[in-house]
Amino acid sequence: MDFKTALFYILSTILVVAALRVVTSRNPVHAVLFLVLAFFNASGLWLLLQAEFLAIALIVVYVGAVMVLFLFVVMMLDINLERLRQGFWGNLWLGGPIAVLMVVEMVAVLSARSFGLEAMPAPAATAGSNTRALGAAIYTEYFYPFELASVILLVALIAAVALNLRQRRDNKQLHPSEQIAVRRQDRVRIVAMPSEKE
Amino acid sequence: MEALVLQFFQWFWNLFGVWDPLWAAVQPVWPLVWVVMKIVAILVPLMLSVAYLTFWERKIIGWMQVRIGPNRVGPWGLLQPIADGMKLFFKEVLVPTGANKALFFVGPVMAIAPALAAWAVVPFFDGGALANIDAGLFYVLAMTSMGIYGVIIAGWASNSKYPFLGAMRASAQMVSYEIAMGMALVTVLMISNSLNLSDIVRAQGRGWFAEHGAGFLSWNWIPLLPMFVVYFISGVAETNRAPFDVVEGESEIVAGHMVEFSGMAFAMFFLAEYANMILVATLTSVLFLGGWLSPVGFLPDGFHWLALKISFFLFLFLWFRATFPRYRYDQIMRLGWKVFVPLTLAWIVVIGTWMVSPFNIFK
Amino acid sequence: MLENYFPVLVFILVGLAFGCAPILLGWLIAPNRPDSEKLSPFECGFEAFEDARMKFDVRFYLIAIIFILFDLEIAFLFPWAVIFKDIVASDTMRMFGFFEMMIFIGILVIGYIYAWAKGALDWE
Repeated sequence: MDFKTALFYILSTILVVAALRVVTSRNPVHAVLFLVLAFFNASGLWLLLQAEFLAIALIVVYVGAVMVLFLFVVMMLDINLERLRQGFWGNLWLGGPIAVLMVVEMVAVLSARSFGLEAMPAPAATAGSNTRALGAAIYTEYFYPFELASVILLVALIAAVALNLRQRRDNKQLHPSEQIAVRRQDRVRIVAMPSEKE
Repeated sequence: MEALVLQFFQWFWNLFGVWDPLWAAVQPVWPLVWVVMKIVAILVPLMLSVAYLTFWERKIIGWMQVRIGPNRVGPWGLLQPIADGMKLFFKEVLVPTGANKALFFVGPVMAIAPALAAWAVVPFFDGGALANIDAGLFYVLAMTSMGIYGVIIAGWASNSKYPFLGAMRASAQMVSYEIAMGMALVTVLMISNSLNLSDIVRAQGRGWFAEHGAGFLSWNWIPLLPMFVVYFISGVAETNRAPFDVVEGESEIVAGHMVEFSGMAFAMFFLAEYANMILVATLTSVLFLGGWLSPVGFLPDGFHWLALKISFFLFLFLWFRATFPRYRYDQIMRLGWKVFVPLTLAWIVVIGTWMVSPFNIFK
Repeated sequence: MLENYFPVLVFILVGLAFGCAPILLGWLIAPNRPDSEKLSPFECGFEAFEDARMKFDVRFYLIAIIFILFDLEIAFLFPWAVIFKDIVASDTMRMFGFFEMMIFIGILVIGYIYAWAKGALDWE
């Protein structure tokens, strides 16, 4: 077994264990941190497939951004663990079949001839950098999906602002730009007063 | 280099007559040993720089405030950082009663590990990067974005009010300035045509001025002047240094996420902060000021130029701290989102337009 | 290509070890004499009177969401910026490559302006 194969097994073992801990750990913060670990190992696996840009993008986007939001949510919301646990049996009738369905689908996809791992094209042994090859593909061939992605991002941004933004009633906000723009004559009035005689 | 080191080892261990059995044992893992040796060769000077940066900080701020600064331990106080480090080693590591024990120690490790790992791709001289990877700059961005975890985890695991407030402030602030940093990097990529940090430096060594002996005019800082400023200021904010240090804000929230930490656990945060400062200074030098390149044609390139540039930016860090009062939190967020983000977006468009126009100088 | 990443992997492991080792060492060397006052959370001399983990302003989530969206935009900008010189150098792609990114940025700027106008970027 060469080093790459060994590394693959180490990374995937950690990945599977971490992913299991995501769903089994009692503390939601632990669960999120295990998810971070899982992403990190997944990125290592992608790197083994020579997808260097995607591997690092996984860390930048998922670990560096999405997981930060997850951490925010589970840390700052008062999540009542006991109440969450109560729902487990009630939701099992729905969750169980969905889980089975997903397993079946994954098996179907991964074992099918067209998607089978043997049919996967070997990573192109390009001499140039991976990022360039990716850039050349996105910005020529996949121009239309790329522009669509920006529209999706726009929708997400507008939705996030529209759903989340609440103006607080006890708002004592100061506008730094107005504060900077203040001139002396806005604040000070100099009046000439004759000195009083004794 | 590698052959020289091997020769030295051969000579050294042959003095004891044990070279042959030793080499037989080491040879299978020699690549690993060699990499670890190179890592140590980066980390030891880095840690010494961190130690003496703290000393230098106290000296400089002392002088700027007409004080003397540390001068008791050793000649001119030069042993002060060593004494501080020793002291921290012998301090009790406290774990507050309400804290989450495991995460309480994950916090400092998560702070220091990315701060060190980012150094893997930094080129110190021509061909002098530990890992010469094609996506180097993106890797640095990934590692710096990991730094936020140390702060959040520490703040939450302490289960204490000040650390929690500090962690909240830190995460929102670091997140905001990361956008400005990333966008500023895009312009650098546009004109250097590579994500590899060594290539980015080499691209700055070409140009009309570089051929005529005034290399410093060919560096990226002139066409990207606003981005240069944005990047460095965002770097200051990203490392939570004054005037953006509301995270620690001694007079408001004591020391933010580090309140409950003591001894070596605290030292890890301290090391991470200073290692990050040096990293930001190094990256600014590499991306905008030509890294190891010499500013003028008649002097040779080399690591000494990079060291000089790094020292300059580190001095700026300390000078800022001595000069500027702390920003208010809403002002920090405004600067990040309403000044830097539009400025960087506009500059991407400006550089793009410049490059498709007939006046393109970046060939 | 992969052999270039070997030092990175080792460096990450060394970084983790570097974080753990001093804390462990400090634990072993340093004295350990806890008492209940020493271990109580720091609160400027008061008794801590409630759990420190409180609910937070929704604004923090909003900033985090906007950050994710802009981070994604940066992930799209990077590959484009890296090949931009090649785009400019080619005759056929020149204007196409330039304007497609301008459209991309333009669409996102609409969202940015919306967020600004709604006051989502203000901190109150």
